[in-house]
Amino acid sequence: MSRLKKPADLKKLKKEAVARRGAKKTWLAVCTGTGCRAYGAEPLADSFEGEIARRGIADTVGVRRTGCHGFCERGPLVVIQPEDTCYLGAKPKNVPDIIDRLTTGEGNVEKLLYLDEANGERLSRLEQIPFYKHQKRILLENNVLIDPSDILDYIAVGGYSALAKVLAGMAPEDVLKEVTDANLRGRGGGGFPAGWKWETTRDAPEEPKYVIVNADEGDPGAYMDRSILEGNPHSVLEGLIIGAYTIGASQGFIYVRQEYPLARKHAERALDQAREYGLLGRNILGTDFSFDVKIHRGAGAFVSGESSALMCAIEGHVGEPRPKYIHTSEKGLWGKPSCLNNVETWANVPHIINHGAEWFGRMGTEKSKGTKIFSLVGKVKNTGLVEVPMGITLRDIIFKIGGGVPKGKKFKAVQTGGPSGGVIPESLLDLPVDFDELTKVGSMMGSGGMIVMDENTCMVDTARYYTNFLAHESCGKCVPCREGLRQTLEILNRIAAGRGKEGDLALLEELGEFMEAASLCALGQSAPFPVLSTLKYFRKEYEEHIREKRCAAGVCTELIAYVIDQEKCTACGACFRNCPVDAINKSKDKVFTIIQEKCIKCGACYTACPDKFSAVVKVPATTMQKQSAGAATLHETKA
Amino acid sequence: MHASNQVAQRRSTTFPLDVLIIDGDKGFTRNCVKTIESSAYTVVGANTAQAGLAVAETSHPRVVIVDWNTPGGNGLEILKSLAEREPTAVPVVVTANATVDAAVEAMKHGAFDFLAKPVDSEKLLETVRRGLDLSSLRKEAAGAEAETDASKKYDLLLQGLDVLGEAYSMGIEKKQLLDELTFLENEAKYHAESLGQIKKKERVILDIRNDLAEVDAILRKYDFQKNSLIQVLLDVQESFRWLPRHILNWISGRLNIPIREIYVIANFYEAFSLAPRGRHTIHVCTGTACHVRGASETLTRISSTLGIAAGETDKDQEFTLETVHCIGCCALAPVVQIDKQYYRDPSKKELEKIIKTLKQEKEEPCLA
Repeated sequence: MSRLKKPADLKKLKKEAVARRGAKKTWLAVCTGTGCRAYGAEPLADSFEGEIARRGIADTVGVRRTGCHGFCERGPLVVIQPEDTCYLGAKPKNVPDIIDRLTTGEGNVEKLLYLDEANGERLSRLEQIPFYKHQKRILLENNVLIDPSDILDYIAVGGYSALAKVLAGMAPEDVLKEVTDANLRGRGGGGFPAGWKWETTRDAPEEPKYVIVNADEGDPGAYMDRSILEGNPHSVLEGLIIGAYTIGASQGFIYVRQEYPLARKHAERALDQAREYGLLGRNILGTDFSFDVKIHRGAGAFVSGESSALMCAIEGHVGEPRPKYIHTSEKGLWGKPSCLNNVETWANVPHIINHGAEWFGRMGTEKSKGTKIFSLVGKVKNTGLVEVPMGITLRDIIFKIGGGVPKGKKFKAVQTGGPSGGVIPESLLDLPVDFDELTKVGSMMGSGGMIVMDENTCMVDTARYYTNFLAHESCGKCVPCREGLRQTLEILNRIAAGRGKEGDLALLEELGEFMEAASLCALGQSAPFPVLSTLKYFRKEYEEHIREKRCAAGVCTELIAYVIDQEKCTACGACFRNCPVDAINKSKDKVFTIIQEKCIKCGACYTACPDKFSAVVKVPATTMQKQSAGAATLHETKA
Repeated sequence: MHASNQVAQRRSTTFPLDVLIIDGDKGFTRNCVKTIESSAYTVVGANTAQAGLAVAETSHPRVVIVDWNTPGGNGLEILKSLAEREPTAVPVVVTANATVDAAVEAMKHGAFDFLAKPVDSEKLLETVRRGLDLSSLRKEAAGAEAETDASKKYDLLLQGLDVLGEAYSMGIEKKQLLDELTFLENEAKYHAESLGQIKKKERVILDIRNDLAEVDAILRKYDFQKNSLIQVLLDVQESFRWLPRHILNWISGRLNIPIREIYVIANFYEAFSLAPRGRHTIHVCTGTACHVRGASETLTRISSTLGIAAGETDKDQEFTLETVHCIGCCALAPVVQIDKQYYRDPSKKELEKIIKTLKQEKEEPCLA
C-alpha cells in the first residue's frame, strides 16, 4: 500500500488495478446488497467460490461480491462478466450447472434467465431485460462492477479521477462554477440547487466549515441512499472530498441510520482505505489540502433527517429542528457554516467533474437535470431500484420498467415523496417526472420513494398510515405540527372505523392548510400532503367510508369481515391450521366457518387459502350485521 | 480529574480494594495507578514495604503488585507476610532485572504472575483482570468455608447449650435459662442470615462493577467526548440490550452531562430502550411498501402468536416484538426480520418453528 504523492500517481495505480482485474477472464458478480442477502446471496457466493476452488479454475474465474444491482424482485442476482449474462433467483444447487456452462462455453442455464412474457423468449443479457433497458444508469452503473470493500476496484473503473483532476489544476471557483452550471439539485427531496448551497457556505465568514452527507434515509419505502452507500461508498466520499475542497472545509461527517449496519460498515472501510492511499487525511494527493471524515450513527428518528435537526444530533443533542431564519449553510454545526447534501447528490459530483456540466445538462428537463434514482415498490411486478433521466413519464417507470401491477389487478395510484408527498392518480401518469411538475400536482419528488398502489389499496388507509407515521415522528416542538397531526389522525381513525361524520372532510382540509402555513420545519409543512392529495383525487372513497360505511378496497379492518364461501370451500384445512386465535370452526360434515366474535381480522386464513379455491372472502362488515349470523347463513346454503 | 473523584469516593467505602501496588519507583507506581484506574478499578500505590503492608491490612486488596526489590524489605519477605495476613490476595511480582531464578523463587512463594519492567499497559490490565478473577474464586472458596464454619459453630453452640441447660436446670430458674437460650439462638440465626445477605450484595456489586468497566471501555473508544453521547448510548444499547439506570448515571458522571439530558435523548430516539429487551428481536417492517402489501395483518398475526403487542417483551425476556419503518427489503414485502434473518410474511406455522429453534440455541449471540 503506497500513499499517492501527487495527482498523477493515480493513473499509475489505476493501471495496476485494471491489470489486476484483467488477470481473471471471467467474473461472477453476485449481488450482496441487503435485499439479495435476505434471499440468501451470501451462501450462494460461498458455494460459487467453493465450486471454483474445487475445480481448480480460480486462475480464470473469480467471484465478486457487489452492492445492489437494483432488480431486487428477482434476487439473488448474478451477472457473469464480461458477457453480462444475468441470472435471476439462482440457488446454491444451480451453481455446478452455471459453472459447467461457463467452462464449456455451451449456452446458458435457460431457466434462470429472464423470461419475456410477451413472446416467451429468454433474455440472457442484462441490457436486454426491460427492467434495465429503459433505465439510464449512471450512479448505479458501477454497483454491478465493483466490490464496495475494495478501493482498487473503484479506482479501476475510473474512481477518484475527478478528485485528481480537481487537485491537479482546478481552482475551487472552477469547481463551483461547474457544479452551479450543471444545475445539480438536491436529491434529498427539496431540490435546492447544490451550487448555491456550496457557495453560501464558501462565502460565509466564519471558520471552520463543515461538509455533511445526509444518509438518514427515513422515508419508509425508499432505499436508494443505502444502496449507493453499500454498493459504491467511494463515489459518495469522492464527491464529499471535492465539495470540501471547493467550500474550504477540513472536517466532514457522514450521518448514517443505525438501521443500515452494512452501509455503515462499508462507509467505514472506504474511509480507512482512502486514508491509506492518501486520498483522505493530511495533504491529500500530496497537495496542501487536508480533510477528514467521521461517521455518526443516527439513533432512529425521522425528523433528524432535517438539516438543522441532523446537525443537533451530531452535536450529541436531541435531533430537533430549529427555525431557519439563518440557513444552516451559514450557521449550522456548532454555529459554523455547514454544507449538507444527500448521498445521491454527493455521488453525482464526480460524474459532473469528469464529464462536465454540459454533459450533465443534456439529461433531464429544463429545470431538473441529470438522473434520479427511485425505489419502485409496492404493488408492482418488478420491485427494485431504478435510475432514470429526469423528465421520463411515470407511466414509463411503472409499466415499461416496473412491468405494471401484478396478478392482473387494476392500477390505482402511485405515491411519491414519502410521508411528505402525495398520491398521483392514473389520469396524471403521463406527467414528466421532475422536481417542479410533481410539486404542481400536490406531490413531490422527495428522496425518491415510489409506491405503486392497486385497486386493493385503500386511500383513506394510506392517508391514515402516513399521518400515523408523522404523528409518531413529530418532535412535538411546534403546536401546528404536533396538534394538527393528532387531530387529523383522530378524524382519519374515525372515518376508517366507520364513524365518520359529514363535515369531516372540510375539517381535514382546514387543518391541512393551517399546518402547511404555520409549522416550523418541512416535516410539519408537508405533513398534510398525503391527506390533501388523497382528498383531491379520491374524495369519493372518503365519502363511501363516511356515508356507506364501506371500504371498497377491503383494507379498513373495522369495515370488513372475513367469511368462507361454502360453495368454494373444499375443507382442505389450510385456514384452520393457520388461524392464530382458533376462530375457525370445523363442523362434523367438514365444512369450515369463521366465528366472527373470535376473529381478529389478521387475514391469515385469507392468505392461507390456496389461490385455486379462493374460498375465504372479504365482505363489508355491514352485511354481516344485517344478516346477524352471516356465517351461519352461508353455511345453510351449502347444507 | 473526574476519574480520581470517583476513586476517592470508592476508597471511603468498606468494599475491598481491587489492586495495591508496592513499588519503590514512584513514577512507575503512578503510571500503573493511572492505567488501572482508567479501567474503573480501585487502586492504591505504596512506595515502601511497611506502607504497603499497612494498607493491605486495612483495606484487604484483591490483587497486590509487588516489586521484587522494594525498599524496606525485599519482595520475598512481602510475599511471605502477605500470605500470612491476607491469604486471599493474589500477588503479582514485577522486576526491572528479571532472572529465571527470581521468577522461580517468586512463583514458589505464591506469586500468581511475574512481569518484567517496563510493563505494557495492556499486559498489565490483562494480568490484573485475571488476578481479580482468581481472587473472586479464592474468596468464594473462603466464603464457603466460613459459611460451613458458621453453621458448625451454630450447631456446637446449640449442643453446648443443651448440655448446659441440663446441667444447670436444677440450680437456675428454668425461664431465665430458656430466655438466655432463645436469645443466643436468635443471635446465631441473625448472623448466619446477615452473612448470606452480605454475600448476595457483594455479587450484585461485582456485577455492576463489571458493567461499568465495560461502559468505560466504550467511553474510551470515543475519548470521553461529550458530543459522542448518542454513539456511546448506541454501543451500550447494543451490548446490554437496554439502558440500565446505573449505567446512565455512570455515563452522566463520566461525560459531565446532567442525567436529565441523557434521559431526554434516551426517550427521543427509537433505538434506545429503558426496559430490558429480549434475547431475540422480531422486527415487523411497516414501511409503506410493506403496508400496502398487508404488514398490519402480519403484525396482528405475529403478536397474537407470541402473545405480546408491538414494543413489548415476553416474560422470559426471550423475544421483543417491534415495528420498524422500512428496512429496505421492499421486494420481500411484507417482510419480517428476526435477529439477522429476513422472512417474507411468515405463516403461523413457520413462525412457531422459528421460535422453537431460537429458544433452543441458548448461547448464540442474538443482536441484529
